[in-house]
Amino acid sequence: MTLPSWAREPLVHFLFAGALLYAFFAWSGGSEVDPASRVIDVDKDQQAQLAVQFERVMGRAPTDAELDAQIDRFVRDEVLYREALRLGLDQGDAVVRRRLVAKMDLAAGAAAERAAVDDETLRAYFDSNRDRYAEGTSLTFDQLLFSDEGSARAALGRLAASDGWQFEGERSTLPRTIDGKSMRDVGGVFGEAFARSILELEPGNGWQGPLQSGYGWHVVRLRKRSSAAANFEAIRAQVENDWRSEEIADRKRQAYELLRDAYRIEIDR
Amino acid sequence: MPIAWQKFALVGISSLVLAACDDLVAVDASQTGDGTDTIELAEFPDRPYWGDTHLHTDNSIDAFGFGVRLGPEEALRFASGEEVTATTGAQAKLARPLDFLVIADHSDGLGATRRLYDAPRIGVVAQNDETLLRWYDMMHESPEQSQLAIAELITAAANGNLPEALRDPETQAENTRDIWNTQLGLLDRYNRPGVFTALAGFEWTRMPDGNNLHRVVMFRDGSDKTSQVVPFPGIDSTPEQLWDYMAAYAENTGGQALAIPHNSNLSNGLMFEMTMPDGSPMTAAYAAKRAAAEPVVEVTQIKGDSETHPFLSPNDEMAGFGVTGWELGNLPLTARSTPEMYAGSYIREALKRGLSLEEQLGVNPYAFGMIGSTDSHTALATGDEDNFWGKHTGNEPANENRAMEAQNLGTRKGRFGWHYLAGGYAAAWARGNTRAEIFDAFARREVYATTGPRMSVRMFGGFGFTEEDWDGDWVRKGYTEGVPMGGELTDGGTAPSFIIAALKDPDGANLDRVQMVKGWLDASGELQEQVYDVVWSDMENRARSGGKVPSVGDTVNRENATYTNDIGAAELRSVWTDPDYEEGERAFYYLRVLEIPTPRWTLFDAVRFGITLSEDAMADAVAQERAYTSPIWLKPSA
Repeated sequence: MTLPSWAREPLVHFLFAGALLYAFFAWSGGSEVDPASRVIDVDKDQQAQLAVQFERVMGRAPTDAELDAQIDRFVRDEVLYREALRLGLDQGDAVVRRRLVAKMDLAAGAAAERAAVDDETLRAYFDSNRDRYAEGTSLTFDQLLFSDEGSARAALGRLAASDGWQFEGERSTLPRTIDGKSMRDVGGVFGEAFARSILELEPGNGWQGPLQSGYGWHVVRLRKRSSAAANFEAIRAQVENDWRSEEIADRKRQAYELLRDAYRIEIDR
Repeated sequence: MPIAWQKFALVGISSLVLAACDDLVAVDASQTGDGTDTIELAEFPDRPYWGDTHLHTDNSIDAFGFGVRLGPEEALRFASGEEVTATTGAQAKLARPLDFLVIADHSDGLGATRRLYDAPRIGVVAQNDETLLRWYDMMHESPEQSQLAIAELITAAANGNLPEALRDPETQAENTRDIWNTQLGLLDRYNRPGVFTALAGFEWTRMPDGNNLHRVVMFRDGSDKTSQVVPFPGIDSTPEQLWDYMAAYAENTGGQALAIPHNSNLSNGLMFEMTMPDGSPMTAAYAAKRAAAEPVVEVTQIKGDSETHPFLSPNDEMAGFGVTGWELGNLPLTARSTPEMYAGSYIREALKRGLSLEEQLGVNPYAFGMIGSTDSHTALATGDEDNFWGKHTGNEPANENRAMEAQNLGTRKGRFGWHYLAGGYAAAWARGNTRAEIFDAFARREVYATTGPRMSVRMFGGFGFTEEDWDGDWVRKGYTEGVPMGGELTDGGTAPSFIIAALKDPDGANLDRVQMVKGWLDASGELQEQVYDVVWSDMENRARSGGKVPSVGDTVNRENATYTNDIGAAELRSVWTDPDYEEGERAFYYLRVLEIPTPRWTLFDAVRFGITLSEDAMADAVAQERAYTSPIWLKPSA
């Protein structure tokens, strides 16, 4: 496919971009005041806005005198701002330039920040990142603690023969019964090594183990393991977070590349 | 087909979409509020939730200057367990995720250095401020120069002569609002009730003459309420004005905020004075205001530990952890400390002063609980010795000699890299992991501090607890017949007893001992303190001698930075009754739980990078990490 030569002209790009920006500001009402106007109208809305700004900083409404001072300051700023525009001081000002650049960058990301996203997109994202969300397992189990492996094994033998588990194990402030807790909670209480090894047991009514933790040796009755294995509905918000943070970074990059493509960059070496 | 046109049209349209969607917030409603009714709660707090309430990102004026380029989003991702790329390029990840995070960027000049750095030089020249221009050039010259510039900036802030461009309230307020609102949106997105709690906050950075009076302010609420305020500036305001700001926030929004003082160790005695800030006698109104706003203090963090000083606690052989270097003076070391200042700088003494002030005023301004945090300026919330990412980006692990370098705060007058601690964590006993539950645990002081390890420490105070209570549901009994840490008991004429249970960090070192620290106001009006060894490992073979429990020993291998759990205990528990109780005496009781000796981050550095620590640094390269609980207070019956 070939472009007509005029479509490659930077001037055309410039005019088109200008027209878009103009249309945008006209449509959004971005700049309500004609910079050439010599009237500064501090209407009630504007005054209310000043009062709110004051309140946000000070945590209380301004007194009449304080509001008057705010209005005076606003008028002064507005006069000097308009005169500055008339004198073209916004041109070639490094800080203004930097601020506008930042606004462009923000705008590109902000669209993704706020855009509504449909389930289809998120599901696709979720499917391609399944590993990341495989934490939905929750466990219900009883455990008995022993200080050494030998006594834990001996207890396993006794438990296979009788049901007196309440009388087994050392006294400890560790919970003996865990009821439907996430892997994160289990790891938090018993440590990462224990959490990893209990995942390898099959649920059932028998006592198993022993499993080692930082506290000693545990014999375990894993009564239930529910693998709400990465249920999309349950973690939709999290998926959306992850999608969004990638999307924002992507869009910033894309927006820049898009714009940059319209330029020919010459760097003297 | 004119492709370039299409591209412009796309950009144009996305701008329009942005403008049209201003009111559209795509975050689930359960994430945006305080978390009430979003998850099922336990009947009683059932486990400690781990967090950092004091983390800086690239929005902090000094953190950016020190070089960090990670912002609040990376901070939230890291704290919740995701891997991020640190500023200096390496991959960073927590071994275990945190449960909650407060991003606490400095309210003063929020984002200001980032803007200064981003500005082209000519724009800075136009500011016509030599200092500003010099800092700008230093920031661009090299990371080292940038750190020097920020050290100068902190000193200037401490001395009250920051360049005008960095303190103009109008500009700052506008910038602050932009950054704040963006951040609140982010926090809501990452706040996941039951999994990870993202709390709004900021650091109020007041330091008259360099004496550190800083507070972290944290909010209970979601963006619907927090967006109605902006962070309160610290320069040129007083603590009372900060408390007024917080009270006004609560009144106007129905939300809640609390303030957490930190680094009292760098305040040269100003953090916990016996008087009003102007030297006049403290008023009951001031004390009540302070008590209401500040239920918790940060006792330990990267810039040292503030529990107590050996000068104040000469009979406490475990005092002095994290004191070296920091005890020399105030934050920028522009004023040296003298021993008579320590009483106003350390927390055990402040808790004692509180008893005395309560006797005089009827209200205790210093009745606070304790937490640890990091105060990391790298956007990476880690207090782990083997995963220390530095105080700031200049001493991330990429700088292999960080342990032996002089700190550049102010001057090179005696503080070195190895004086930094790896930082601590805050543990909150809560019924679930939501903003409201975590915040409320802080508000009722059911929180404790650790210097990094995640040991589980529980304490209930009451009357008549006995060893037999272990056979039953002792947690229920503790809550229903006594009070948990942070609570108050009314003197009923008998000695208080305490249910005490400490479990080691399941993935960490064994415990050496549990100590009860008691402070009291005796009948003659004198303040007293006593440290009791309550329970320790291997009690049969470690009998007290001369009133002291012998050292637990030391398994640390200095050559390869390892230790073994051959000494110490996995669990320590006891029911302890105060043997020195006297009716009518005001008192507080808090626990200090000590681990066996383990390598500090400096030893890990020495082994990893093959550097040689100085003799002083080497002597300090192994330490007994610890936990401090919030106290339980015993008050005379009215």
